[in-house]
Amino acid sequence: MNKQQLALIKKDVRGITSNKRLFSVLLIIPLFMAVVLPTIFLLTITFTPLESGDLQDLLAILPVDLPNSDLRVALTGALLNKIVPLFFLMIPIMSASVMAASSFVGEKEKRTLETLLYCPLSLKQIYRAKILASFALSMFVSLLSFAAMLIVVEAELWITMRNWFLPAIEWLLIILLVAPALSLIAITLIVRGSAKAQTVEESQQRSVFLILPILMLIVGQFMGVLLLNAWILLGLGAAFAAIAVVLVRTSAGGYTYEKILK
Amino acid sequence: MKAVTADNLSKTYESGKRALDDVSLSLNQGEIFGFLGPNGSGKTTTVKLLNGMLTPSGGECSVFGVNPAVSPETVHGMSGVITEHAQMYDNLTGFQNLTFFASLFGIDAGEAAQRARSLLEQIDLAEAGNRKLATYSTGMRQRLSLARAMIHRPRILFLDEPTSGLDPESARQANGMIRDLARQDGTTVFLCTHQLRYAEEICTYYGLVDSGTLLASGDIESLRAGLSSGLTVTLRTDRPPVGVEHGKLPDGRYSVQVASAEEIPRLVRRIVEAGIKLYHVSAQRPTLEEIYFALIEQKSTGGAA
Ligand SMILES: Nc1ncnc2c1ncn2[C@@H]1O[C@H](COP(=O)(O)OP(=O)(O)O)[C@@H](O)[C@H]1O
Ligand SMILES: [Mg+2]
Repeated sequence: MNKQQLALIKKDVRGITSNKRLFSVLLIIPLFMAVVLPTIFLLTITFTPLESGDLQDLLAILPVDLPNSDLRVALTGALLNKIVPLFFLMIPIMSASVMAASSFVGEKEKRTLETLLYCPLSLKQIYRAKILASFALSMFVSLLSFAAMLIVVEAELWITMRNWFLPAIEWLLIILLVAPALSLIAITLIVRGSAKAQTVEESQQRSVFLILPILMLIVGQFMGVLLLNAWILLGLGAAFAAIAVVLVRTSAGGYTYEKILK
Repeated sequence: MKAVTADNLSKTYESGKRALDDVSLSLNQGEIFGFLGPNGSGKTTTVKLLNGMLTPSGGECSVFGVNPAVSPETVHGMSGVITEHAQMYDNLTGFQNLTFFASLFGIDAGEAAQRARSLLEQIDLAEAGNRKLATYSTGMRQRLSLARAMIHRPRILFLDEPTSGLDPESARQANGMIRDLARQDGTTVFLCTHQLRYAEEICTYYGLVDSGTLLASGDIESLRAGLSSGLTVTLRTDRPPVGVEHGKLPDGRYSVQVASAEEIPRLVRRIVEAGIKLYHVSAQRPTLEEIYFALIEQKSTGGAA
């Protein structure tokens, strides 16, 4: 990255944080997935009677060491380590999509793209800088969401059960492998569609292709079809990362000024 | 070195439309070149070819010796471009827009701020420079685009319809700024417009285009010399000047086309000797518009022959 590309990255990030509508999307989804949802889980477990059928159903799905002293604490831990991470993945996907759509298609829509193309950066350099801007923002939002989730969850656990939560290895894989890979896939999907898409909204809809599989994973979890563990995550993460690398490598290839400006 | 050259430059779009047909041009440094023709004649296409945004279907071109189809970034580094579709960011102020584009051209922050302020001053946006672009009028945006295009002291400016959408007063003003800014740095200007009258005020060299072909190029004198009728003589007489081919003007005067000033005394003698009362004679050199339409006429009659 040279100085010119850094200037472009800074402008892109500022462009999204100064746009109230886009910024609120960037705020609301992480807030819901990382703060509201875990809180709902936690409160449900705290206030549902232990004998209730629902908790017993959950127990049947989630791997909890029963001899362990407090059942509620164990259940909470299992939910936070097995179910919440999947919901959490919506955060990098959505932030990356919103940012990439605004960065690539937004410039076209507002007719600022052509001005950018007249600068002495090559098309590849411009694309690389824009991809990096979306990626950096998506990872920043994800990390911040994770930190917020930890703070809120620890506080709630302490208040309700006088206990605390230790993130399992799954979280490490999510943050370091799956989230970055999914962000990059989301960004490159949008970039690929950007030559055709005329509006930001139209372009953002492409992220549905990524959200649907994640939703299916979540449903699968609840139905007990497939239980998340570190090995599965590692496998998925590695596959996503491989796809991401291929997509990024080929993302700026084949584009010409003529195709982009059409 | 020539500022711009085009050798049999042609462009056929994917749709099959031949927008530019064998255009050859050569432009010296420091000229203010008016590339003139009505909408759809291929001006924007030419600017895009010269900046590497399009690849030629035939022929080639260069900007200060660099082929834009081969190294567009090098051409971008020495040119400033204004087109209708090259807008700036509404969420930034005029000043922020200028410094952002300066940074894309590798100018460091301190110098960029200084350059931005002095340009804002020159285009009468010193105060508005601190407001967001969203509040700017069309004229202010056009002027800011001019400053944006000049921010890195380009060797050549490509201005595609820089005065479109402006009222006559603002258009004159904008043209004055273009001329002053270009003179300051000795910048070559490639100005595309369909407003021939404004172009005549600032250009030093012309290329006249119509449906993708170059009708003529040169300075105004050589364009005039290329016409069969070099002068329009206007006469006020008591009755039509018999024996000479003439037209009648709405105010009752008569106009006669002559090749050069040498013919005027002969014309006057003939009218006077015919016993016609001659009250007033004046001669006008054809304006750019008249030259343009005369060339169009020549082209269509030439094509028919
Ligand atoms: N992307 C394109 N695809 C097909 N035809 C085009 C395209 N751009 C311009 N044209 C056509 O090429 C001709 C020249 O256009 P243009 O260079 O924009 O003219 P000008 O700038 O002189 O108005 C016009 O007939 C126009 O409709
Ligand atoms: Mg045009």
